[in-house]
Amino acid sequence: MSGPRFELDARARSTLQDAATVARHDAAVWMLRAKRDAAVAQVPDFEALRTRAAAIKDHTLDQLDHYLERFEEKARAHGVVVHWAPDAQALCEIVETLLRERGVARVVKSKSMLTEECGLNPWLEARGIDVVDTDLGERIVQLEGEPPSHIIVPAIHRTRQEVGALFHRHMGSPAGEEDPERLMAHARVDLRARFLAAEAGITGANFAIAETGSLVIVTNEGNADLGTSLPPLHIACLGIEKLVPKLDDVGVFLRLLARSATGQPLSVYTSFLSAPRAGGELHVVLVDNGRSALLASESHRRALRCIRCGACLNTCPVYRRAGGHAYGVPVAGPIGAVLAPALVATNAAKTLPYASSLCGSCTAVCPVRIDLHEQLLAWRREAPALPASWRRGARLGAWVMERPRLYRVATRAARRLWPLLARPFSGNPATPWLAARELPEHPGASFAERWRRTRGARK
Amino acid sequence: MNGRDAVLAAVRRATRSGVAHPGPHPAPALAADFASFAATLVSVGGEAHGPFPGASLAAAVLAHARTWAAGGRIVAEPSAAALLGTASIEIARADAAPHSFADVAVAIARGSVGVAENGAVAVTGDDAPHRSLLFLAERVMLLLDAADVVGDLHSAMRVLPASAWRSQLTFISGPSKTADIEQTLVHGAHGPRALAVFVHRT
Repeated sequence: MSGPRFELDARARSTLQDAATVARHDAAVWMLRAKRDAAVAQVPDFEALRTRAAAIKDHTLDQLDHYLERFEEKARAHGVVVHWAPDAQALCEIVETLLRERGVARVVKSKSMLTEECGLNPWLEARGIDVVDTDLGERIVQLEGEPPSHIIVPAIHRTRQEVGALFHRHMGSPAGEEDPERLMAHARVDLRARFLAAEAGITGANFAIAETGSLVIVTNEGNADLGTSLPPLHIACLGIEKLVPKLDDVGVFLRLLARSATGQPLSVYTSFLSAPRAGGELHVVLVDNGRSALLASESHRRALRCIRCGACLNTCPVYRRAGGHAYGVPVAGPIGAVLAPALVATNAAKTLPYASSLCGSCTAVCPVRIDLHEQLLAWRREAPALPASWRRGARLGAWVMERPRLYRVATRAARRLWPLLARPFSGNPATPWLAARELPEHPGASFAERWRRTRGARK
Repeated sequence: MNGRDAVLAAVRRATRSGVAHPGPHPAPALAADFASFAATLVSVGGEAHGPFPGASLAAAVLAHARTWAAGGRIVAEPSAAALLGTASIEIARADAAPHSFADVAVAIARGSVGVAENGAVAVTGDDAPHRSLLFLAERVMLLLDAADVVGDLHSAMRVLPASAWRSQLTFISGPSKTADIEQTLVHGAHGPRALAVFVHRT
């Protein structure tokens, strides 16, 4: 019974090791939640926006085939080429072919969780194409050779000292430099040269508008805008759930997105791209990769409403203390744990729904009202991933609880054994818990016994 | 089966239950005046100047541009140059390559709509046909008619011309920024280090 049994538990022990790191990460993430709360308080119709956003997404998902076809038709009319990828490999092959046909060797990329999910960077790098992530946080984790740990702030787990040492090695910033402003200045010079030299730009998209065939791409740094206005080729990769029906719907989502993510009233740059730039090409790849399976699931379809704001990560007591890398999947936090059993589908990913206290804080902040904690619970029912010994234990517990007389005998025996169970030793089934917490003092009598004693007195 | 048919067939396997669209979101009653717009813009790190009477706009804009440029290159989009009515600054040529603006110190363009709730200015493809100029320049100045300030984003989307959705359009809310290193806010990530909006009354 010793040692961790769940994916997140195992990884958390190696990612955020000491109490100081955990505390720093917790505070950094909670700051985003506090900013969100302050921003939300400024918007009188915020709750109405959440309700409408959820309803718009539910309608779109219900008629997704119609909106996908309409988007394709409109985008084509403006000279955009639309591709379809049933899975991750199809996406990688489509992008590789587009780049190869044009002899592209240098690509600048802006943040896209979809391409993380589909492993596009390693695919292209293995085939000799230089891919540079341009979002500052993404560039940091790319140079560190690790995945992002947060969907909005990819390097939130890194300190300024670590970034300084990294930039010293890769960008020639002075040794010991750790001022964020001066470090950014070095990255700006380094990456500006790469923007100007790139032959193609790859982006994700936050929304795709069926009515107009437009992509909506949001950044604070302006990196997606440089990456789409300079190189002659722009490839946008997006999941099929990014569709919204009408132009008029986008305002609802944009008013929610940045406020929920970072507490900004709007991200710095919100670009609507409806046609290739003059003399250039715009290709859009619509990717399924497990989304249609979620769509067909009555209990999990709502997870496709997600607009990737990160609010559920920032408020989650597990994410804040475990860190994003502990999840071992591209999207961490409550939404990651809800998506992973369908989109990643490894045995390890199926244990993620257990990494939650089901406190419901995620559900309370979600701008599109996904019932995240209910989704986590539903996964536990639909795809049980408890070890066989735990399942046997749970069945035994249920069997005892169905027999009141046996239950009373068993709990009386447990109270006798309590002082023993509260200490970790090999063979004690409570040992894994006791590594991180203590069993509380036992009150000495069961509720039923106390009830029998006091009920007469209260009357 | 090709990729398109495979994706659409998989999507169609999900049941349709006829969930209706909830209809448009009613625009909230938010302040739509220049002072509210300016306050939000300043809170997101931008500068708000004006409102200037039409005749005095050009002098104010050019003085600010020259201070910012400190001898560097100033380039105006044709729409902004027409508004300023001056022959003394470089106007972006119709056939200029996107990379040719890499050394620009200050870019000047016209904005179509200002949004008070988020301090953003919508810049359409007609306002700024040279998209890269807005992001390569060290500093950006946008010109906005005070009558074009609206309260909320829904209203802004509803007044923009249909042509905006056939090319490119960007809402710009303050200077380029990042907080990716220990949540410390830094202006001038990849794009402009500073943004000023000059509002005028016609």
